[in-house]
Amino acid sequence: ERQTLLAVLQFLRRSNLRESEEILRREARLLSDDLGGSVATVASSSPGVAAVTAVPPGKGGARAGGCGVAARGWRLPFPGGTPGAWGSPAPPAASGALRDAEVQGSVSGVVVEDQPDVSAVLSAYNQQGDPTLYEEYYSGLKHFIECSLDCHRAELSQLFYPLFVHMYLELVYNQHESEAKSFFERFHGDQECYYQDDLRVLSSLTKKEHMKGNETMLDFRTSKFVLRISRDSYQLLKRHLQEKQNNQIWNIVQEHLYIDIFDGMPRSKQQIDAMVGSLAGEAKREANKAKVFFGLLKEPEFDVPLDDEDEEGENEEGKPKKKKPKKDSVGSKSKKQDPNAPPQNRIPLPELKDSDKLDKVMNMKEAARRVRLGPECLPSICFYTFLNAYQGLTAVDITDDSSMIVGGFADSTVRVWSVTPKKLRSVKTAADLSLIDKESDDVLERIMDEKTASELKILYGHSGPVYGTSFSPDRNYLLSCSEDGTVRLWSLQTFTCLVGYKGHNYPVWDTQFSPYGYYFVSGGHDRVARLWATDHYQPLRIFAGHLADVTCTRFHPNSNYIATGSADRTVRLWDVLNGNCVRIFTGHKGPIHSLAFSPNGRFLATGATDGRVLLWDIGHGLMVGELKGHTDTIYALRFSRDGEILASGSMDNTVRLWDAVKAFEDLETDDFTTATGHINLPENSQDLLLGTYMTKSTPVVHLHFTRRNLLLAAGAYSSQ
Amino acid sequence: MEPAKMASPKSAPKDAQVMAQILKDMGITEYEPRVINQMLEFAYRYVTTILEDAKIYSSHAKKSSVDADDVRLAIQCRTDQSFTSPPPRDFLLDIARQKNQTPLPLIKPYSGPRLPPDRYCLTAPNYRLKSLQKKVSSSAGRITVPRLSVGAVSSRPSTPTLGTPSAQTVSVSTKVGTPVSLTGQRFTVQIPSSQAAVKSATPTTPTVQNVLINPSLIGPKNILITTNMVSSQNTSNDSNTLKRKHEDDDDYDNL
Repeated sequence: ERQTLLAVLQFLRRSNLRESEEILRREARLLSDDLGGSVATVASSSPGVAAVTAVPPGKGGARAGGCGVAARGWRLPFPGGTPGAWGSPAPPAASGALRDAEVQGSVSGVVVEDQPDVSAVLSAYNQQGDPTLYEEYYSGLKHFIECSLDCHRAELSQLFYPLFVHMYLELVYNQHESEAKSFFERFHGDQECYYQDDLRVLSSLTKKEHMKGNETMLDFRTSKFVLRISRDSYQLLKRHLQEKQNNQIWNIVQEHLYIDIFDGMPRSKQQIDAMVGSLAGEAKREANKAKVFFGLLKEPEFDVPLDDEDEEGENEEGKPKKKKPKKDSVGSKSKKQDPNAPPQNRIPLPELKDSDKLDKVMNMKEAARRVRLGPECLPSICFYTFLNAYQGLTAVDITDDSSMIVGGFADSTVRVWSVTPKKLRSVKTAADLSLIDKESDDVLERIMDEKTASELKILYGHSGPVYGTSFSPDRNYLLSCSEDGTVRLWSLQTFTCLVGYKGHNYPVWDTQFSPYGYYFVSGGHDRVARLWATDHYQPLRIFAGHLADVTCTRFHPNSNYIATGSADRTVRLWDVLNGNCVRIFTGHKGPIHSLAFSPNGRFLATGATDGRVLLWDIGHGLMVGELKGHTDTIYALRFSRDGEILASGSMDNTVRLWDAVKAFEDLETDDFTTATGHINLPENSQDLLLGTYMTKSTPVVHLHFTRRNLLLAAGAYSSQ
Repeated sequence: MEPAKMASPKSAPKDAQVMAQILKDMGITEYEPRVINQMLEFAYRYVTTILEDAKIYSSHAKKSSVDADDVRLAIQCRTDQSFTSPPPRDFLLDIARQKNQTPLPLIKPYSGPRLPPDRYCLTAPNYRLKSLQKKVSSSAGRITVPRLSVGAVSSRPSTPTLGTPSAQTVSVSTKVGTPVSLTGQRFTVQIPSSQAAVKSATPTTPTVQNVLINPSLIGPKNILITTNMVSSQNTSNDSNTLKRKHEDDDDYDNL
């Protein structure tokens, strides 16, 4: 087979692509019958094929299109096999097809970004012309853009950064080190300030070998940078680049950029600056069009399907509480299903146990006594300062009823404290348990061993700093994730470790229990987030798509969606049911470190190292607000219990309170905005800021609103 | 330790100055002074490891001196070994697609603490206790048959469960009656049997399952309380002797 394929390759070089693809397709069908070795040979020789098909770029839309379709068809007969190797042939040709399809403004229906991309071997940058002329090409383009009309200049300036990076990487990959260095020297200062961190990383990549270790840069090379440009600007650009001498840049544009064209006015610099910044450009409009069920699940009072008569009947004989507490959830008021809420059984959720029901009753009692917050009534803030932590405090969590606080430390310990006067006890040993009276009313107290009562419990087990902690809603379990790559489940009744979930083999940066328990999510250095259930030792879902580490993971209040923030400066929303990415939010200029869903499930607040808090409307997939004020990374974000106030805590030693009600009112989402994704953010950060509270010298790591809307904050005192 | 501002003292050796410059180029402006020492140590260790490997490769290829190819090979081998990087994106997308196709498993109601099978938990003891008494030979043969807890625990540093209160054995392979356990926690308990001197088992045999736990819900309190009958266990254990590897207890005692 190898010989035939080589012969085919020769043939390809001499003939036109379409015919060659037909031959290859036939070849592929033949080979698919043999298993094992033939797959490997096809895979190994397919690189050659793919490279060849990619070599004459811009030959003509139709041919590239045919190429792509055929290549994709070719890929299908190989089920399984080595994913990396055989998955590779499709994309260069497929991307060729899609390129042209995109350029004509239509969508081919295949999301390139989420298809398996070429492996490092295959994504060979082709020689787009003479390396020494790269500087000429780039400066020519720069000159053109700077001389264009003002209204187009802002949009076309978006091209600078991706083109610069791709051209530089191409020079490095093809081992033109000196040209790469001089190219970098000359043009890196022209880029926007928010790309400086990326550029610094790039400056250290000067050889092809350097690139192998840097997964983020490899992903960047193989994925398409998305740009949103208006049709007029695009026509201008295209006309300019298709002139003879600029053909090389046109090829590069076609290969590495995805230009999402919209009809309408070109955007202003301000609008563009708000949305760009991520490593993958902006989000395509199609990426944010899927329906998201952002409503909340009905809170069943009892374990029966909710029906009008049943509800009333149960209420009589059930709980003694007669008054209906004011709940923000959909629960008691609307009898109909909220159209935006997911069906109750969309994902399997654990049933309500009696202890959970008791907890809900407690929650309702507390909610009745809750302070209504607002601009006139700001919450009191109670700050828990961790002393003597020597900069080792890396994670904090507080239970929902604010009874326990846990700290994860850089010395790999997890420490649990009791916040209330009630001490922490572990259950008695089995020998003692057999002696107690099991029928007594206070058996739950009797099983606890008084001799073990203490304010603090230390949990040992991890072998690296603990970067994330999360209590389960029923306060029986604690999760902790660490640099050693595992997520550990601890029991809070015996204060021992129960399970170590191994899946990420690299540091896990964050973990969180689902609001209903049983499921939990973790995200780490391997650029994926994983959904686990406590009784499965392997993850149930893998959310892959980010270009860099997943630094923050949060569940939506209805437990059907997971938000992940990443070091590639995007926030993605994933569907738990099928693992699809349903929303991509770009706009941050630094890695995202905090996420918070509003209690009504409609909005998401995100905080990053750039010191801004961005507010997103999940249903429409748009940015609806920007809160400026912090001067350093925001590590903590929390909405108050009824969603009126958003609290943010940052490394700049302050807690700021923002008016969430005002930020989300008057959302004008007309058709134009929804269609194009343009936003016009009002500059109202100052109006929305309700208060800034400074600590002496303690960065704020965690925020938590108690059930009565008292704000608890936590951080470790750092002496400088 | 308070992080120091970057200030290279005049008398620092050249290597330290170079390292400080590298840190500055990478944008790191605040760091403790010991960072430079650690970085230098790492650099030294890495380079010497690579060069030693390169020497080995070049002598293997019967070359007279180490050349660039040997160094390149040494670097490549070390990278694959020590400095692994996360899987590539196409691989991740592929396994994600496979994993995400399976529907979410249904949740069985009222199944007590939801934990993975015992084999994957860290709830088993990772030690065994030496017996203090002489072995009593009963009619059933040697009772000092190792009793096994959940396997493959020895390699993991786990905290011992509360189910090991006494010097007697810890866990049983077959259940008789219902074992003792508690809400949110599951551990095996032996009601002490006075006569049998048994040793706790090595945790190294993964074949025997610990199926001691038999959760049963009692009333609304969610307490799982089950008891363990010991006497019949002895007999049942004897029947298992044939299935399990024998251990030479005498040798162990004589150590």
